[in-house]
Amino acid sequence: MARQRSLLLFILALVAVAIFVIVKVPVRLGLDLQGGSQLTIQVKPTAEIKKITSRELEAVQRVIEGRINGLGVSEPVVQTVGDDQILVQLPGVSDPQQAERVLGGTAQLEFKAQKPGTEAGLGIEQQYRQELVAKQAELRKAGDQAAIDDNQAKLKATDQKIGTLFESSGITGKNLKDAFPETSPNSNGWSVAIRFDQEGGEKFATLTKNLAGTGRSLGIFLDNGLISAPSVGVEFAQTGITGGGATITGRFTAEQANDLAVQLRGGALPLPVEIIENRTVGATLGRDSIQRSIYAGIGGLMLVLLFMVIYYRLPGAIASISLVIYSLLTFAAFTLLGVTLTLPGIAGFILSIGMAVDANVLIFERTREELRAGKTLYRSVEAGFFRAFSSILDSNVTTLIACGALFWLGAGLVKGFALTLALGVGISMFTALTCSRTLLLASLGVQGLRKPELFCPNLPAKTSEVAS
Amino acid sequence: MKLQVIRQRAIWWTISATIIIAGIIAMLISWKQIGAPLRPSLDFVGGTRLQIELDCTQPNNCDKPINLDAVRSVLDAQGLGGSSVQIVGSEQRAVSIRTVTLDVDQRSKLQAALSEKVGKFNPKTTQIDTVGPTLGKQLFSSGLLALIVSFAGIAIYLSFRFQLDYAAFAIVALLHDVLITVGIFSILGLVLNMEVDSLFIVALLTIVGFSVNDTVVIYDRVRETIALNPGRHIDDVIDDAVNQTLTRSINTTLTVLLTLLSLFFFGGETLKTFALALIIGFTMGAYSSIFIASTLLALWRERTGNTISGSAEPVNSIEP
Repeated sequence: MARQRSLLLFILALVAVAIFVIVKVPVRLGLDLQGGSQLTIQVKPTAEIKKITSRELEAVQRVIEGRINGLGVSEPVVQTVGDDQILVQLPGVSDPQQAERVLGGTAQLEFKAQKPGTEAGLGIEQQYRQELVAKQAELRKAGDQAAIDDNQAKLKATDQKIGTLFESSGITGKNLKDAFPETSPNSNGWSVAIRFDQEGGEKFATLTKNLAGTGRSLGIFLDNGLISAPSVGVEFAQTGITGGGATITGRFTAEQANDLAVQLRGGALPLPVEIIENRTVGATLGRDSIQRSIYAGIGGLMLVLLFMVIYYRLPGAIASISLVIYSLLTFAAFTLLGVTLTLPGIAGFILSIGMAVDANVLIFERTREELRAGKTLYRSVEAGFFRAFSSILDSNVTTLIACGALFWLGAGLVKGFALTLALGVGISMFTALTCSRTLLLASLGVQGLRKPELFCPNLPAKTSEVAS
Repeated sequence: MKLQVIRQRAIWWTISATIIIAGIIAMLISWKQIGAPLRPSLDFVGGTRLQIELDCTQPNNCDKPINLDAVRSVLDAQGLGGSSVQIVGSEQRAVSIRTVTLDVDQRSKLQAALSEKVGKFNPKTTQIDTVGPTLGKQLFSSGLLALIVSFAGIAIYLSFRFQLDYAAFAIVALLHDVLITVGIFSILGLVLNMEVDSLFIVALLTIVGFSVNDTVVIYDRVRETIALNPGRHIDDVIDDAVNQTLTRSINTTLTVLLTLLSLFFFGGETLKTFALALIIGFTMGAYSSIFIASTLLALWRERTGNTISGSAEPVNSIEP
């Protein structure tokens, strides 16, 4: 009995935690529910680069992140999928036209020379730009879309203005062969090494010769945005930087150096990208489907509970309680594990409620059989749980196998469904075997509930059993 | 009530065979008509689907329902005459257009022309789906692979927990469920133009996972009965096992169907087809576990002369 009581307390505590989590932690909604745009971008190989490796994909991803940041969308997600795809999620975007235009197309990297007489101007603009970027980060946290858009427009104007301060040198991404971070030999910081091809090396020498010692910088532009503006030391005034390579120093951390190198590589890649999938759901539409699905879920749950109570009586009522506990625990698990709730995910959850019933049905049917065979109430309940266990285990493992196949091989929405269903199956084993059992045994401790007819109707009377 | 599954097995097999053959015929017909056994949505063949709804906050915008002819003439003007157009929504203020894959410029042009000719649309209720043709093939093959992998996984697990012949017939029952569901959707595709999308593959996998449950529960009972009464004939054992688990099979399927029906009637639009596939598949799953997997196992053991099962034989051979 002491064990029962501590289990009961444990379950109560779990429920309390679950409710706390559900109230406190907001659930992450998928784009199909909150509205937004999801784009899948295919990176295509070319004659020069026949196979896309993770190094190239990372570089393209960085370029795309840069372009997305230029859109002023709050909380965008950019991630790689498989070997050659990039997934972009833009919450709240109902018309992705602009994003699609910006995202398509190959990256444009250019090395430019600062025009004479703009030294002071560039400093001011760069200072101003930094302020705007900082402000943008703050605005995104606050989530004021109008202010974000306004700030974004200012950023764009500044970028254009900075662009006018430089003139072309003829060196573009196609001249850049590689870029990688390395440790600086004479300081303990990091720098970025760049390597040009023959033509690029010659032009770079001319460019640096002109700039050396003038105080004007070399501007490196990715998609028309200035990503780095190193100056060239006076010692190169005679010949320029020769040898087809250079090192950009500037007290970088390892992370900053790597980021710049990845951006440079991304700009150097001639890889064309194409948007191969676009799933856009308007915000109102998303809200509508979430509402309808929640109603459907609650309606379904009610019907199931009603059925259980009518058919299985006392155990049915107890199973209903543990089903409610099940729903709470599962939902709390979703929020805690950061599961993004999508429409198929909700379907998986609702389905798992139906399946969670199965374990209870198995147990109660077994209990009834034992009662009909003339066993006492307590022993029937125990036997019901004990003998139903192997069926419950086998059937859940097979469901989990199907979920596993879906999760590893499926994509996007399908994954969400597999995850919610699998979590549901796991938790339903716990609630059926622990909650239902503890509650049922606890209720057997109450005098008024210890009646076999509350468990099984039309039970043959004990006397007739003996007589037959 | 006691079901005589073994004695009546000819009936059950005939019923199943009839439905499966009807499905296969439908698949053949639709293969001839549209080049695929089921009507594929753009998930699998690529294309663009644009669903737009009139913006009713604009004055005089929602006075009359959308004119189908106006939409068609816009499509014709853009060279998209072969597209399918459907007026949707309870008040006929939304239209769903499916075309070949459009890029961003083509799509914006279409949207602009539509709002000029038909009325202002509300971007917040717009839905755009574009899938490139190669991605569609990818989605399809990964779905098929998932299906095969889960079949294999279940077979391995069952032959490990039970015996090889149990596993084999469980898989036959699963194929039966999947085949019937696919067949019925093929018929629905021909009659109601119902399409299958990637959620349909999810539904098939869920059916596999769920319907094997029923089979496992019955097999579990068969195994238990054999262990308790080693000398009994397999036909009796299976008849008993099916009947003892019958209430459970019915009740479980019923409760799941309750939730699915509520999804079907009240859930979001995208979930309707999904719920319908599950309703068909789960019903078939319960049916095949009770009537097909069990009777096939009995037949197999009769044919292989293995009717008195398991540990019974060595015990008998020691006694005399």
